[in-house]
Amino acid sequence: MQTERIKLTYDALVIGGGIAGGEAALNLANNGYKVLVVEKSLSVGGKMIMLSKVFPTLDCSACITTPKVSEISRHPNIKIFTESDIESIEKLGEHNFVAKVTRRPRYVVEEDCTACQLCEEACPVIVKDQFQYGLVGRKAAYIPFSICSPKVAAIDIDNCTLCGACEKVCPPGCIDFTMKAKQYEISVKTAIVATGFELFDPSTVKRYSYQEGKNVITSMQMERLLAPTRPFHTILRPSDGKVPDKIAYVLCAGSRDDSMGNPICSQICCMYSIKQAQLLMGALPMADITIYYIDIRAFGKGYDEFYEQAVSMGVRLVKGKIGKISEKENGNLVLRYEDVSTGKLKEAEHDFVVLSVGAKPNEEPQSLFKTQKLELDNLKYVKQSDPLLSPAKTTIEGVFVAGAATGPKDIPDSILSAGCASTEAISYLNS
Amino acid sequence: MSRLDTKFGKKLKKYGATEFNRCYNCGTCTAVCSLTNSEDSFPRSMVRLSAAGDQNGIESSLKPWLCYYCGECSTSCPQTANPGELMMSLRRWLTGRYDWTGLSGLFYRSSLVTIIAMVLVFAGVIGYAAYESFDMERIMHTAHYFEMFAIMGVFAVILLPNIVRMWYLTVIKPGYKLPVKVYASSMSELFIHMFTQKRALGCDDNQARWFAHLILVIGYLTLLFTTVFLDWFSTESMFVVVLGYVVSAIVFAVTFVFVLGRIKQKQEIAKHSRPSDWFFIIWLLLMGITAFAVRLFIDLDLLAGNLWLFLFHFTILAQWALIIVPFGKWTHFLYRSFAMYFDKLQKSK
Repeated sequence: MQTERIKLTYDALVIGGGIAGGEAALNLANNGYKVLVVEKSLSVGGKMIMLSKVFPTLDCSACITTPKVSEISRHPNIKIFTESDIESIEKLGEHNFVAKVTRRPRYVVEEDCTACQLCEEACPVIVKDQFQYGLVGRKAAYIPFSICSPKVAAIDIDNCTLCGACEKVCPPGCIDFTMKAKQYEISVKTAIVATGFELFDPSTVKRYSYQEGKNVITSMQMERLLAPTRPFHTILRPSDGKVPDKIAYVLCAGSRDDSMGNPICSQICCMYSIKQAQLLMGALPMADITIYYIDIRAFGKGYDEFYEQAVSMGVRLVKGKIGKISEKENGNLVLRYEDVSTGKLKEAEHDFVVLSVGAKPNEEPQSLFKTQKLELDNLKYVKQSDPLLSPAKTTIEGVFVAGAATGPKDIPDSILSAGCASTEAISYLNS
Repeated sequence: MSRLDTKFGKKLKKYGATEFNRCYNCGTCTAVCSLTNSEDSFPRSMVRLSAAGDQNGIESSLKPWLCYYCGECSTSCPQTANPGELMMSLRRWLTGRYDWTGLSGLFYRSSLVTIIAMVLVFAGVIGYAAYESFDMERIMHTAHYFEMFAIMGVFAVILLPNIVRMWYLTVIKPGYKLPVKVYASSMSELFIHMFTQKRALGCDDNQARWFAHLILVIGYLTLLFTTVFLDWFSTESMFVVVLGYVVSAIVFAVTFVFVLGRIKQKQEIAKHSRPSDWFFIIWLLLMGITAFAVRLFIDLDLLAGNLWLFLFHFTILAQWALIIVPFGKWTHFLYRSFAMYFDKLQKSK
């Protein structure tokens, strides 16, 4: 079935609506270029909008992301497609790209929804909330999260029972189960890849007991527990709702580890773990926090001072990578490690364990480009054709790259690289 | 004070360890090892000593013998530094170190030298057979006595002095002064480990491997006993004949499984076979199969016309007794059990 594609024209296409893509889009739009941002999930803001605070300034992440996201959403030169997939991008010549885009239906008329949440109340289906990283449940008719953009409900059609309860209560009557996917053919002059990174999935490492151990969570789940828009308004461990008092951080869980398929440093885990440890000391003043590490890599501006601050606050740092985590009957966890400073094998009991999961490449962008090959480097990140002098250039002329798509980056570096990519794109548009 | 040998890493390469210098000291290997405890933490400590080239530290340590190579450390190593194979290489290196003749080390480092030695022994057997004008009776008679004297000679001249050297390096030199009473009371440890390899059961998921190894050890020792002391090849006793068949078949069957494992390379322990491993396992296999065949030919009255079979068996036997037992992998039978004994001595202090 070949439906007629809606034809649109923009100056630039930005793939990915995270902080890097958003920043790049904003720079282009402020210079007068028309930009289309294509985001695969229901909201822009990427991973940053989900975070608690940012290091090393301890600024509230939501508080600095949301104004940026609002600016992007309201900019007259920016159009955002959420819940959309790019099927293909073809380069027909210089300044001449054609992208085929599909907007998946969210079964809610975006323009009419007031985000009143009555549909959410009415919906009888409860599933795990992917935006809270599985910590709590959500309905099948739901607002993705409280500070999402656009703040519009969506129907999770895979889990929906089509009972129609939401439709009955919706005041503006904006729920529409007949909604179909829309196909677009978009002509642009340049493209910026800002597809970000994936988080390492620790369930692949049996000895970390991520799935069997109920009180073993990932650092992203801890971000949610600490964030202002958090699910519980306090820190609770999942097995029994106990407020933990002996928390362990396992660094390099899925980074710098060939046996886990990721040989490189993720660059963010040391710092976010130190940050979370400080936030936890504020949230749970009586809790002991131990960080098990191989090396602490506090390389950025103000990072080492931030680390010293954590140490002086009383965060315990132990040199030794955790080898095995086993769960006890009471839900506590026994961590087995070699204390590298003494060379002795040790076991420590904690009641809550956070795996500081690393960054993995998002290989998706390679498959989007059809006529020319967007090359990836040996670690499957987008290859920079000139990493030293023009770090935003890819192997396709006119296609630029921003943020963690080229490798793990913290937020300041992502913003910097987005600035670089947008500048390169503007130069290209004017060449 | 320890002297550090900066070329030690290069030396160790010839014993099989090639990647241990990648280690970045995270301690994962120690943490995942099921035999490690807070008293004896390894393999990272041995990786450190090897990387530093601290030969004195290594030769006074029993830790390499406390490892039974489940391979968990190697599969979990973030740097793919292969600590399991390092421990294996250190065992080879130590075998060379304990051996006063220096031949062990030479054979481990060079398969060419091993092959030349094997050929020389083969030539010796053929030469002797020619000297006896290929008279079956006399050759068989000599073979029987050769076996007996070879065992005693090798033990007295090579193995016993080597164990004394091991004792000196690991107990006396590090300064353990222990009363005779302790030596006597710890003795049980030696025999328990020699005949049961109990410690290997501590390796994760190792029951099957331990059991196969135990059967092989019992089968091998029984075969040795049957041929040397019960004179299997000329006995009239039905019991001894059947016993010999059973144990030689066991030796063949179990080694066949081990050889297959080393070819398939599915288990970590079977992935990095060195020539010394192949010689050991294949010669053991040939021992089982040729002994079985010789007795079968005797029972079928075919041996008289097939002297070559007996010569083949005799050659395998001689190579085994003169090369692999004193200087090859066979020695782990002794060193492993004595290591447990010496370890007990060290800890009784």
